[in-house]
Amino acid sequence: MLILRLWNYIRGYVIIKIEGLSLEKFINACVQKDIYLWEIKRINYTTLEAKVGIKGFRVVKRLSRKCGCRVSISRKNGYPFWAHKVKKRKMLLIGAFFSCILLMIASSFIYSVDVVGNERVSKEEIIAALEEIGLKAGANKYLVDIREIENRLLIELHELEWVGVELSGIYARVEVVEKVPVPERVEKDIPCDIVSVKNGVIEKVIARSGDAVVEKGDIVSKGDLLVTGVIQRDNIPNPLYVHSYGEVYAKTYYETTKSMTTVDVRQEKTGEVKKRYMLRIGSMELSIGGGEIPFENYVIEKSVKSPFFWRNKDFPVEIIVETYFEANETHINLDIEELKKKLHSDSVAELMAEIPSEAEILNSTIDFYQVDDIIYGNMIIEVLEDIGEQRKIDL
Amino acid sequence: MKKAEKIKKNIADALELPQDIVLDLPKITMIGNLQLYVENHKGIIEYSTNQIRIYTKLGILRVLGKNLLLKNIVVEEIVITGEIKQVEFYD
Repeated sequence: MLILRLWNYIRGYVIIKIEGLSLEKFINACVQKDIYLWEIKRINYTTLEAKVGIKGFRVVKRLSRKCGCRVSISRKNGYPFWAHKVKKRKMLLIGAFFSCILLMIASSFIYSVDVVGNERVSKEEIIAALEEIGLKAGANKYLVDIREIENRLLIELHELEWVGVELSGIYARVEVVEKVPVPERVEKDIPCDIVSVKNGVIEKVIARSGDAVVEKGDIVSKGDLLVTGVIQRDNIPNPLYVHSYGEVYAKTYYETTKSMTTVDVRQEKTGEVKKRYMLRIGSMELSIGGGEIPFENYVIEKSVKSPFFWRNKDFPVEIIVETYFEANETHINLDIEELKKKLHSDSVAELMAEIPSEAEILNSTIDFYQVDDIIYGNMIIEVLEDIGEQRKIDL
Repeated sequence: MKKAEKIKKNIADALELPQDIVLDLPKITMIGNLQLYVENHKGIIEYSTNQIRIYTKLGILRVLGKNLLLKNIVVEEIVITGEIKQVEFYD
């Protein structure tokens, strides 16, 4: 019946009050005259309330005199009455129109630019580059060409592999994929050294070209020279520069320390609750009532209520609700062996992610020690791997 | 029932015509106890929140209930809503 109600609203209707003694006679007369009455309500013995269309109302007035009852309007409803009212208040209409226009204009600008997917290239750098290209807060979104921006950003920042710009409303989301760094390759005819990329103990040096400057047992740290491309011999007056290459195997150590608590503290809520309210304006926090917390042990749950949330912009006024639940603490001692196993597997997983796949694992040790309630696991994995990297000789 | 009426009824039966049309009888439809449609009525006699009396060909149709409301009323049809308890014909 929504359609009917909508139709009635568009046509306009009045809610009338009919007062008199022979109201049924009045209703019958209306029916005879083809006047549509609906939602006829009996208010009391002498009063009825009914809805009638605008056209019908004029006839009703005449009929009421005949039937000896009095008709009065209690409310006018519907589009014609509304339009009439609005006509008298032109400024309101103009204001509504302008606010719509303003909203449309305001929503055609980009308000914030967000960058996702970057790891090595800083967000500031990307945003600065975007700003130069033309995508920045305040730019009209109908004037920026997304494809153009994507291409130009790729040209501007060489570290990026792919750029995707997505406009959703007033918010621009820039998704980037960075290039996987390729180790710098030194051409075969360019003289170079081999330097260490990791700390370690030299195990074996295979210098296919160039002079080895370290030998088995030497301890090297990152950046140390391993094989030099500058060859000096007594019988050669000027040093010879060669493109050195070869493998330098060294023992390297990967270490991690993890800790776990041996006592599990469980907090069980007893059901007692106290709430505290705080008003935050900018960086200022005002607590509104509340008082002291009557519990010794408790769990706090914080929830923040913003009056309204504007995309990812923070509105500086917030209401913070802190709910304190009274809790009973129970201490449970955990199984030490279980914890050790867990620490071991966690450490292995962490270190294996760091160790390159071609490296050979020589040895692994784990030491456990306990301080108060905390158990520590210190794991060392000894690995044999190639630690050399070619580096150009600056002449 | 008059003789003419009887003949009409017989014809309606024989031809399987709807009786409400041939005999000019009211057609009453109820939806649960919430709504009552009376088609082919002859006018309203009494209307209050717990009793509505409608004049029909067969006499007076009385509807008893609570919070009765005349949803709409036109020449052919009356729609009553509310909590209907009892519907009866009497002369």
